[in-house]
Amino acid sequence: MGPTRSPLRRIAEFWRRGSAFVWLSAAALALSLLMITTLVGFIAVKGLGFFWPRALVQATTPEGPVLGEIAAFEPALGEEPAKVQFRVANRDLYGQDFRWFKAADLSARQEPAGAVLVERLENGAFIGFVEVLKQDGQRVAEGDAALAAARARLPEALDLQRGIRAIEKREVGSLNRDMEKLRLQRKALENRPGADTTALDAREAALHKAYDALQARLDGLRGRASALQLTLRTVDGQTKELPLSAVVRLVEPNRLGPLAKAGTYFSRLWEFVSGDPRESNTEGGIFPAIFGTVMMVLIMSVMVVPLGVVTALFLREYAKDGWLVRSVRVAVNNLAGVPSIVFGVFGLGFFVYTLGGAIDRAFYADRLPTPTYGTGGILWASLTLALLTVPVVVVATEEALGAVPRSQREASLALGATKWQTLWKVVLPGATPGILTGLILAMARGAGEVAPLMLTGVVKLAPAMPLDGEFPFFHLDRKFMHLGFHIYDVGFQSPNSEAAKPMVYMTALLLLGVVVLLNLVALRLRRRLRERLGGSAF
Amino acid sequence: MKPSPAQDAVLRRAKRVDRFMALLITLGGLGIISAVMGMLLFIGKEAFPLFRGARSEARPAFMAPGALLLDESGKAAAALSPSRGLELLRLPDGAAVRKVEGGPALPWTAVQPFGPRGGALVADGEGRLHGLQVKWSKPAGDPDPAHWDLEAAWSAPLPNPGPGARVLDFRMAEGGGLEGGLVLKAVAATPEGLVRAEAGPGQAEPTWQPFPSPGTITAAAWSQDGGQLSLGTAEGRLRTLDAATGGLLAETTFPEPVTALGWVLGGNALLVGGQRGSLAAYQLLRTGEQPVLQELHRFQPLDGPVRGFRHSLRDKRFLTWGDRDLAVDHLTTERRLLHAWAEGTVHGALSPRGDLLTATDAVGRTRAWSLDAPHPEVSLGALTGKVHYEGYDKPAYVWQSSGGTDDFEPKFSLVPLVFGTLKGTLYAMLFALPLAILGALYTSQFATPRLRNAIKPTVEIMAALPSVVLGFLAGLVMAPLFEKLAMEVLVFPAALLALAALAFPVWTRLPQRFRSLWGSGREVLWAGPLLGAAALLSLGAAPAFERAFLGGDYCHWLLSAQGVTFDQRNSLVVGFAMGFAVIPIIFTLSEDALSSVPKSLTSASLACGASPWQTAWRVVLPTASPGIFSAVMVGLGRAIGETMIVLMATGNTPVLDWSPFNGMRTLSANIAVEIPEAPHHGTLYRVLFLAAFLLFLLTFLLNTAAELVRQRLRRKYESF
Repeated sequence: MGPTRSPLRRIAEFWRRGSAFVWLSAAALALSLLMITTLVGFIAVKGLGFFWPRALVQATTPEGPVLGEIAAFEPALGEEPAKVQFRVANRDLYGQDFRWFKAADLSARQEPAGAVLVERLENGAFIGFVEVLKQDGQRVAEGDAALAAARARLPEALDLQRGIRAIEKREVGSLNRDMEKLRLQRKALENRPGADTTALDAREAALHKAYDALQARLDGLRGRASALQLTLRTVDGQTKELPLSAVVRLVEPNRLGPLAKAGTYFSRLWEFVSGDPRESNTEGGIFPAIFGTVMMVLIMSVMVVPLGVVTALFLREYAKDGWLVRSVRVAVNNLAGVPSIVFGVFGLGFFVYTLGGAIDRAFYADRLPTPTYGTGGILWASLTLALLTVPVVVVATEEALGAVPRSQREASLALGATKWQTLWKVVLPGATPGILTGLILAMARGAGEVAPLMLTGVVKLAPAMPLDGEFPFFHLDRKFMHLGFHIYDVGFQSPNSEAAKPMVYMTALLLLGVVVLLNLVALRLRRRLRERLGGSAF
Repeated sequence: MKPSPAQDAVLRRAKRVDRFMALLITLGGLGIISAVMGMLLFIGKEAFPLFRGARSEARPAFMAPGALLLDESGKAAAALSPSRGLELLRLPDGAAVRKVEGGPALPWTAVQPFGPRGGALVADGEGRLHGLQVKWSKPAGDPDPAHWDLEAAWSAPLPNPGPGARVLDFRMAEGGGLEGGLVLKAVAATPEGLVRAEAGPGQAEPTWQPFPSPGTITAAAWSQDGGQLSLGTAEGRLRTLDAATGGLLAETTFPEPVTALGWVLGGNALLVGGQRGSLAAYQLLRTGEQPVLQELHRFQPLDGPVRGFRHSLRDKRFLTWGDRDLAVDHLTTERRLLHAWAEGTVHGALSPRGDLLTATDAVGRTRAWSLDAPHPEVSLGALTGKVHYEGYDKPAYVWQSSGGTDDFEPKFSLVPLVFGTLKGTLYAMLFALPLAILGALYTSQFATPRLRNAIKPTVEIMAALPSVVLGFLAGLVMAPLFEKLAMEVLVFPAALLALAALAFPVWTRLPQRFRSLWGSGREVLWAGPLLGAAALLSLGAAPAFERAFLGGDYCHWLLSAQGVTFDQRNSLVVGFAMGFAVIPIIFTLSEDALSSVPKSLTSASLACGASPWQTAWRVVLPTASPGIFSAVMVGLGRAIGETMIVLMATGNTPVLDWSPFNGMRTLSANIAVEIPEAPHHGTLYRVLFLAAFLLFLLTFLLNTAAELVRQRLRRKYESF
């Protein structure tokens, strides 16, 4: 590094030694890491922030007064002026949930204390003010008193609503099923000429009577539910009558302290995790999707472990090591790289149409042409995913089998144990953490896959869960909902995807959380295993 | 020591269990493996019938009195003859079930046979022409043709066109207005020239009007809506006239005297048959200023003059018969589904489904064939080559599996889908390769061990990100953001380089101690802020750049200067999102390969005075290159088969365009979009299975190549 060197030589030397390239590769890595952290952070912030009650801002614009949550702010960019997006809600009155305004057009900004956000069963939220609470047409309270009265009587209205829904779902549903059974029996009888249908007729009449009675009860409940009416007013003076039983929650964000806001936050979060979806999945909860995902992954696990372990045992312990076994091993590993949609296509063609069709013809012929197993269902989806994830379990199990020290096997064999006894009592227990790692990785992979499910049984809205109180409790032929498909469907197939976006973020966060958690557990397990076994060469 | 009987029993049992388990596991293992391998076979088996040839079988011949109209079920036919009128026949023996009364008094002098929809023309004793429309009337659910009947509707008659006249074509339509009834139009060749007439309810006494057109007109065909009339002449001219005014719309030459004209389902393709057996399809193309008659397809010729055509009501197949033979061809693929010899055929008939055909000669001897051709619209040529579709001005690669109408011509070219797959993969790899390989190189060669232990699990977690989440972000967040910030993103690399060039001299002037403590192995921590600064700089610089060079709006500039439209969900967004999915795979596998390069090699290089980068670039990278190659193969496999990201982040339009600013449709996304709508074992279903088969094969081969390379590499390193 003598001072006599010309700058040109120094530059040439600098390029040759290449520390700039080290920096370049560091930048590449930093970019990758930055991207993933940004992505996960972005989803987390967008998803978790959604349930926090935000202030309702009122402002005057050239188009009249506006009241709503500030959903987005776009700073001035080039010639584009700064813009503010309001979530004005009131879809039934305005036709849209969101409106953009130029920031410069907004004046007289304030946060009115009485502004209220009403979460409704239908048409999304309402943002405005409570005017009057009426009971059977009589004014009970006005203004803030009406709000307080409505809040006080909301639990009662919610109970009523819940009761109505339970009847609709459970009792009417069970009547419908009986009706369907009756129809099938009648159909079976029709094929036999001269059969006696009087018993069936009597049962049908009884069912109809029960149905009418139920309907009368429902009408009574509905009448009670609509007795309490709330009159709401928007900021631009339109009024709206709403039965209190159609209200899910009343929030006055501008009056709430941080603690009360946190309460609302967790109440909303709980509704999201445990509730049923509303308004074609854009509101309410995603419980059926969580349940469907868990159920499918569990069924898949039950299938994939024996399949994978038996294959691995065969390849590692029983098959004679030759070119055939080697190539089979390569092929099984490579199945992990085959696109998931191909497995979906196979599942549709083989499980659904071929296997399911055969089952229908053999056991459910009376229901044809309505397919029972000959259409997508949770069983077929789980089987397809089990096939998809079998290589993961095979590879992990083989690795674990290979990592069990030779000395232990030899000790067992030397004591006179048979090969199977050695495998069962010595090798498999030693390999259990490895098998578990494989299973967890398979579960993570299975939980995140969507494409094959779209062909084998996932639906946007399942009428009934695959596990319920009706005999035989497990309904493996039923279609199910899934977190990943929920994201696709609500984000891309929904008519109101802008309003549903936060739901999608939250769902994505949940799915991401599950998958990442499973992977973290698997990684830790594997690392502990490797440390214990002294780092094998895998 | 001899074991006691009790011990002996235990031992024997243990041995039995051992043998049984060995058998069970071997059988189970083999079974599972063959089942998994059977996947490929099954998918192939589902796709294979696409390429099976059509099967046809001659059915027993019978006597039928005249022209036939075959029923959909193939169990009955309507027969129309001058001597016996309209009758319902039972098939396959052709026995008359019942006679249908009505219409002009028998005997008639001539009949013009049924069109595919059951319209016919009858000349009565005085030579007047009566239009006849026949409909099937079947009691619901009754499969016995003996109980079926025919409903016949008759139009008002047209006068006798005169001696020596020959009716070339007729057209029947339900009349509009209050009266309803049938409107009959006919065109006839007389010794004085072409004449035409029209009869219908509420119209004046019909007369034959001269409709002059040069040449000896030998064949005519009304268009489906009756607006145009196509004519063929003995001189080999083919022309289409405006039926109302008689004005010439388009004209072209045919290599032989035209003997027959007909239509394919949909009425877009005009079939032309010649004196020497030539067969071709033409279309009236209106894309230019002047409509032109353009040849669409040419089929294998018949052995002798072509006499007539009948088309199916289900797809684009049609029956042609001549003096000596007959054939069933498919329009789109030009496939010949059936060819048979039948001397002197006067009337041919094709069932609505196209699975049964008959040929009747002058004395009424009728021969019948059944035809089993479930997928005539697919051939290897149609899947991989350019096809001239109806309405297109030239042959093209098109994927469009379904349309709004029943007479839609399905277009099954896999080329746009394969192209889309390659395009998406290319953009993903362009983005992912440099980042992943450079990142792996840095992690394995330069990063401190602590940093490395933090980086690897993070990237492995990244590999587990569900692609539906990536797709959602790409489609709903990145795509709109990129549309707004496209310039900023494209300026970003330049901004980064500029900043780096500025930062370097500063860095090299920092004290050596500080640099070695905070620099070597920890560069990545500094790169973060640098990237942030570059992002800010590009945010500031891009609008200026856009104003200076692109006239202020890049979308506008793209369209006007480059002729490229900007789609919000474009290839760059897909490449970016798919890059996310591919980077961790390539990174992890490359990192494994790079860090398993023997220490002895790097030590030797460093001892000889090479800088760390020189060692990494010239020694480690070449040594590990097979491993990196295999990593790239695996990444490629993943990108090729990725479904959800492409489905959500592109518009899924099957275009053939490399432009980064528009979308694509890939094989995998296409399967996801279309297979839920594809009927089981239909053509679309099988074509999609073929696509899945291709995907399977492609990714399986890529992964196998990668695995073989990896194994070879592992053996090589073992020798160090």
